[in-house]
Amino acid sequence: MEPTIVVHGGAWAVPDSLAEASVAGVKAAARDGFAILKIGGSALDAVELAERALEDDLAAFDAGCGAVLNTDGEVELDGKTLAAGAVSSVRNITHPVTLARAVMEKTDHIMLTDRGASQFAESIGITTVPTDALMTESERREWEHYKKYAPEPNPFCSVRGHDTVGAVALDHRGNLACVTSTGGIRNKMVGRVGDTSIIVSGGYDDDQSGAVSCTGHGESIMKVTLARLILFNMELGNRVCLARDAVDVSLAYMGERVQGGGGAIAIAPSGDWAARFTTQRMVWATAKGESLFYGLDPQDMFEEKLSK
Amino acid sequence: MASLPVIVVHGGAGNIPRARESMSSAGVREAAKAGYVCLQAGGSAMDAVVEAVTLLENNPTFNAGRGSVLTQKGTVEMDAIVMDGRTLASGAVSAVRRIANPVQLARLVMDKTSHLCLTAEGASQFARNMGIPEVQEESLITEYSIMRWRKNLSPDANPVESHMGKMGTVGAVAVDLQGNIACATSTGGMLNKMEGRVGDTPCIGCGAYADNKLGAVSPTGHGEAIMKVTLSRLILFYMEQGKSVREAADMGLAYMWDRVQGRGGVVVVDPKGEWVARFNSLQMAWAAAQGGQLHYGMYGEEHFTRDIQEQKEPEPQSQEAHSPTRSTDTHTDTQ
Repeated sequence: MEPTIVVHGGAWAVPDSLAEASVAGVKAAARDGFAILKIGGSALDAVELAERALEDDLAAFDAGCGAVLNTDGEVELDGKTLAAGAVSSVRNITHPVTLARAVMEKTDHIMLTDRGASQFAESIGITTVPTDALMTESERREWEHYKKYAPEPNPFCSVRGHDTVGAVALDHRGNLACVTSTGGIRNKMVGRVGDTSIIVSGGYDDDQSGAVSCTGHGESIMKVTLARLILFNMELGNRVCLARDAVDVSLAYMGERVQGGGGAIAIAPSGDWAARFTTQRMVWATAKGESLFYGLDPQDMFEEKLSK
Repeated sequence: MASLPVIVVHGGAGNIPRARESMSSAGVREAAKAGYVCLQAGGSAMDAVVEAVTLLENNPTFNAGRGSVLTQKGTVEMDAIVMDGRTLASGAVSAVRRIANPVQLARLVMDKTSHLCLTAEGASQFARNMGIPEVQEESLITEYSIMRWRKNLSPDANPVESHMGKMGTVGAVAVDLQGNIACATSTGGMLNKMEGRVGDTPCIGCGAYADNKLGAVSPTGHGEAIMKVTLSRLILFYMEQGKSVREAADMGLAYMWDRVQGRGGVVVVDPKGEWVARFNSLQMAWAAAQGGQLHYGMYGEEHFTRDIQEQKEPEPQSQEAHSPTRSTDTHTDTQ
């Protein structure tokens, strides 16, 4: 099986000022994850590494560091057993995604929330950091300003920071993994759980049908259980562009049924992959074979050779 | 004969101790009747499922609201969800403490916020803002749940297996006279769960799904398994591909067993009012009301039918009193 990794840095109206940094960020993350796959590493290790690279990228993304106070993280792997782990509404953790993996590997549960998640983090020696370390100054100002919750006027064209980051990978053994992490929407209510940590919505993977990571308007994604919907469409499909068609059909359904915009990355068990969105922009990158593909605007499909 | 309106409720899949069978059966019948009265009076499917689940939460026989199982630490943390098939609107709360009716709070999340799920302390803050009274934790705890909690603290206990011994989650699905579909699910979760554990119930597509075009599902069983196969949405996908409610429910449960060795049960309706209550655990207390008839059962293919007006309800043998303090527990145990 030819290893493949696809990462995204959130589907939203990425402003030009962030465009360059965002593209550079996902390209670097895809390279990092792909390096693991090239040496025979597992899909899970690859997506986790890529995700951590994105979570650390303070300049461009909003998950983990740079996230607004509460974060959700989800990791789902082992398409064989459908094992999964997630945390929601966890505070003061730099890498929610690593904590989510620990929930999967070290507990009988799939999801931990709030104080229980923090206690678990402490019990397994994941250190917490002061809130200040997770907030950039501009975020703090914005958060103070918008602390009183107000609904997003139009989820299709949200221009405020709304970054979810995610990765899906296929390793040389044919195993699939996906991971998604987010700071959630700015000014969310305390304790709001978005799609990221919900297994069917933020991400889903099954070696038999494929792996998906979603981004966009979380509430809309949840209403149509977007990740699972894409995989159902992949299971039903037999077309050449399996992943792309399944993602497009599902995003169109979400727009039509609940007027929500978003994006998704997907890999089929065959290695067919897609990065598609209905928002203005979504930054994404794919490493496969000798090439690195990436894009930001709807029709983008840039390609460069992976060096070495 | 399929007809509208219809409501189907369940009181959880598992192994029900014989002593508790009649209470469980009476509880789901009462809830189905109450929901049906609401539907017949022109109430919405959403009103009916919330009404039915509220009764089940208030009934200490079931693992939801009062009577919920306890966490490792001996506290009560509850999950609940509602979903409206007209708009796919949904509301949920996870790991919420010290409120009497999580299903009503879930409905408020749907009606009063633009979010779908609030968790733990955030859910409590929201409840306070909505003027929902905080209740004493003790009022949610029964002697039976304390006994089971103690029993499963021992290192060799298997809470997953043992959980099947206590009635699980409660839920309801309904179609109203206008053809609108709704569902609701509520639970205390898994016996001796870690603090902060969130199961399938508040996760849309896992613990509930309703779509006017397809139908609605409320599941019960091993939450982690239900999440892994996204059971509710899975069953509706089968129906979307032309399967009957019964075929779809059986296929979904069979898939869950084959893929992740999970057991459970579901109640399902479709837009025409076809319904089914299916499970692959030993028992699931369920009841349905449709066309002036009350249907109910608990074992395998059991299916009793009677006129809904019939007054002769067998009385539950004993009502479980809630214990004001845990020290009154007299069950023998290791701890």
